[in-house]
Amino acid sequence: MGKHLKYLFFSFILMNIQTYISQLISLRDIAPDLLLIWLVYIAIKEGQLTGTIWGFIIGLMFDLSTGSFTGLAAMSKTIAGFTAGYFFDENRAHLILGSYRFVLIVLFVSLIHNTIYFIILTRGSEIGLLKAIFQIGLATNFYTSAVALLPMLVFGRKYIS
Amino acid sequence: MQRLVDILLAFKEYVVLTFLIVVSIILLNSNDNSQIRAIRSYTVGFFGVTQDFISIVPNVFALKRENEILRQLSVNLSDEVNRLREARLENMRLREIIGLKEKTIFKLVAGEIVGKNIHLLRNTITLNIGEADGAKPDMAIISEHGLVGKLIAASDHYSVGQIMLNKDFRSSAKIQRNRVDGIISWSGGEIVNLENISKMQDVKEGDVVTTSEYSTIFPPDVKIGYVSKVSDQPGSLFKNIEVTPSVEFSSLEQVFVVIASVDSERVALENKIARKK
Repeated sequence: MGKHLKYLFFSFILMNIQTYISQLISLRDIAPDLLLIWLVYIAIKEGQLTGTIWGFIIGLMFDLSTGSFTGLAAMSKTIAGFTAGYFFDENRAHLILGSYRFVLIVLFVSLIHNTIYFIILTRGSEIGLLKAIFQIGLATNFYTSAVALLPMLVFGRKYIS
Repeated sequence: MQRLVDILLAFKEYVVLTFLIVVSIILLNSNDNSQIRAIRSYTVGFFGVTQDFISIVPNVFALKRENEILRQLSVNLSDEVNRLREARLENMRLREIIGLKEKTIFKLVAGEIVGKNIHLLRNTITLNIGEADGAKPDMAIISEHGLVGKLIAASDHYSVGQIMLNKDFRSSAKIQRNRVDGIISWSGGEIVNLENISKMQDVKEGDVVTTSEYSTIFPPDVKIGYVSKVSDQPGSLFKNIEVTPSVEFSSLEQVFVVIASVDSERVALENKIARKK
């Protein structure tokens, strides 16, 4: 229970940082998805079921805090948490978190997350799906993966050494 | 029964995934539901407090640059105010002569942006003013440069606004020079489109685009931007018109909410006519 309260607390903190740093470190309106990195961490550490449930919780919190499209991030992050859970290995979780595999998982999950997100977001709108996926989605994927190097280095120092 | 429970337990990950996706789809289809709006309003208030706290951290470089811009703007505006004051007096005299109604002057409430969500095309802003200040959903947000967007959710002390660069944003608009009207919408990027303008109409690059009188949300004559590209699409009756917004959304910090209640009599009449059709 205490572990889940910790996850809730950090999700809340990261959500606020996500909203604030968007203004400071965005490159042409592209910002890294910190919540997705956090979700991949949870899924690799706890498994697919926990990852799926936390994906929904984090996504829903994000939806409600932005005031629109309620359910969109909830759905895409649920699927992202489920996908990240495939890489769960109880005995090697720390090794995965502290190696380049963590960054690759973030890149892969981010790709799936953004594709689902934009398929729903662009439905019935004039925003081109391919333009959204390839311009905004891919740029966000790579930026998110680049930022995921930081926690990877921290985990590497903490767990592997 | 036990067998069913065993099967569900064996595939619990898939069961939970399916259940949560179904819940998400229900939520996506209930965005205008009053309960969802109420929950959203509480959440906006909750996150607004922390975002307000985090935004205290000053961006020193931006402040210095902003100070220079404001000083220049102040000089330009004081000159413009003098000319507009004269024009307003003249306008009032002329309106009185031809018996036109005086245009409503809207009340503005100043607010600061305490959070921006430009992540993955969400494009919303959180303001530190809410229902206690008179701000409510469907009120226009403007800045000294022009139209910013509209409010979509509000709690007591915070509100969330949808900026013009949002897929759900629509506003009636007109070309200031010749009053040709159309609809502003966004299709990605940093420009907006002026739609429903016939190929026969006279629209040129550089024309100023403002809000029109047809909207029940946006006050008329608020600058939206200027026409940056006009082209004809083969096989279409309409022109492709790109409008560059006059507001620089990336550096936006202070805005005003136009406190105006929707003209319920007008809306009721328009709805009545629409139902008859």
